[in-house]
Amino acid sequence: MKYIEVKDLTFYYDEEPVLQDINFHIDSGEFVILTGENGAAKSTLIRNVLGLLHPAKGTAEISKINLEDKKLRVGYIPQEISSFNAGFPSTVYELVASGRYQQNRWLRRLNKKDHDHIKKALETVNMWSFRNHKIGELSGGQKQRVCLARIFAADPDLFILDEPTTGMDEKSRHDFYELLQHEAHTHHKGILMITHDHEDVSEYIDRHIKLVRKEDSQWRCFSMDSCNEL
Amino acid sequence: MEMFLYGFMQRALIASLLMAVITPLLGLFLVLRRQSLLADTLSHVSLAGVALGLFVNINPTITTLIVVLIASVLIEFLSNLYRTYSEVSIAIMMSAGLSIALVLMSLNQGASSMSVQQYLFGSIVTISTAQVIILAILTVLIVVLFLLFKKPMYVLTFDEETAFAEGLPVRWMSIVFNAVTGVTIAIMMPIAGALLVSAIMILPAAIAMRLGRSFNMVILVGVVVGVIGMVGGLMSSYQFNTPPGATITLLFIAIFIICSLIKVVSVRRQVNKQK
Repeated sequence: MKYIEVKDLTFYYDEEPVLQDINFHIDSGEFVILTGENGAAKSTLIRNVLGLLHPAKGTAEISKINLEDKKLRVGYIPQEISSFNAGFPSTVYELVASGRYQQNRWLRRLNKKDHDHIKKALETVNMWSFRNHKIGELSGGQKQRVCLARIFAADPDLFILDEPTTGMDEKSRHDFYELLQHEAHTHHKGILMITHDHEDVSEYIDRHIKLVRKEDSQWRCFSMDSCNEL
Repeated sequence: MEMFLYGFMQRALIASLLMAVITPLLGLFLVLRRQSLLADTLSHVSLAGVALGLFVNINPTITTLIVVLIASVLIEFLSNLYRTYSEVSIAIMMSAGLSIALVLMSLNQGASSMSVQQYLFGSIVTISTAQVIILAILTVLIVVLFLLFKKPMYVLTFDEETAFAEGLPVRWMSIVFNAVTGVTIAIMMPIAGALLVSAIMILPAAIAMRLGRSFNMVILVGVVVGVIGMVGGLMSSYQFNTPPGATITLLFIAIFIICSLIKVVSVRRQVNKQK
């Protein structure tokens, strides 16, 4: 089932063409990475997918429903999410718990199942012992892990991750990739992840989409390198 | 305590307690969304609403509410237009509000300067029973809205793009939040004054953020700080015969300085202990 479908997408920043004729899709159960040189508009592309930006031509759509015919839930980690305001008045537990609100908990109290999910998510990223710490007191790497715990606690159908492993050591990165692969292959989640380290993650992924500069373009304009799809 | 035997001081005390509940609930989100100046802007815009009411001879509270609601939508529209520099919308609306107020006041020579001064500087001790009732209704409304929408507002405050991806109507939430803040300011302005209402909105939340660890604790501390500042300031202004709004604001600033110093000392002690 297609969770993301992008058709003939062209996007301009003001007058400058940035993305041209982009076509791809992400299915449920797939772990796909999106790469490209610095400034290749990778984040711009996923912001179009999310509806935060609007393409000049073409479409970028996320499925409304999941495999079980229920409302599809999206988990998004923006670039540098962990650099949020150091004074944000929240404990680690509160922040991770907020990931559960999507599960029809916006207006209801969290139940035991929710708290079990939160505990498991924090243990997955080795941050359970920090649950009562104030977010602002953590290091950059620890904040990043808390943000990852939040998305695992949310248990979304579709993960959209923009360089989520920034500040993580090699072992933590590989544990994280393994977990994403497990989510995709065992729980049929769709995963689109922007990364610079495609070699680092290559053994875990199903497909690799690369954005490349258009050879005939004088402008900063990128399209897809379909040859690089695995 | 004999001061509270007077009817006007009893009304002022009730108003203080009600405002102590309202201000941290809204103030915390204003501070976290980096919209501390929004309260100032809306108070300037409210002044235009007052001037309009006096100019067309309609109850200023009604015109103020209408003007503030329009301004709330405009601020959201402008901040989307200048997405990277969203504070531009605040600057534009603040100067527009004050300019319109000044022009309308100059055109309306017949209006009593007392009326304008009342809204500029406000006075909690001249509050009427009707104003206390309106403030009480507003407090109930805001507490109910807070309890209903605390979770979505938490996520929106944490990161707007994450909130959007998780299906929250980010734009509508911002407009409604601005509108509720605007209505609160319009109602509090004759009590606290256009010039000081934003300080009373922001300071309890800013102090609570230095003291509380969790989100809920910050809200609770904000209300306690609000009660201490509002009631303490009211009593001091009666005792020393100083303007109530200014006295309350100065007390909040004093609490802010003391809390900041205590925090710095305690952090240094902790660091020294770890060494």
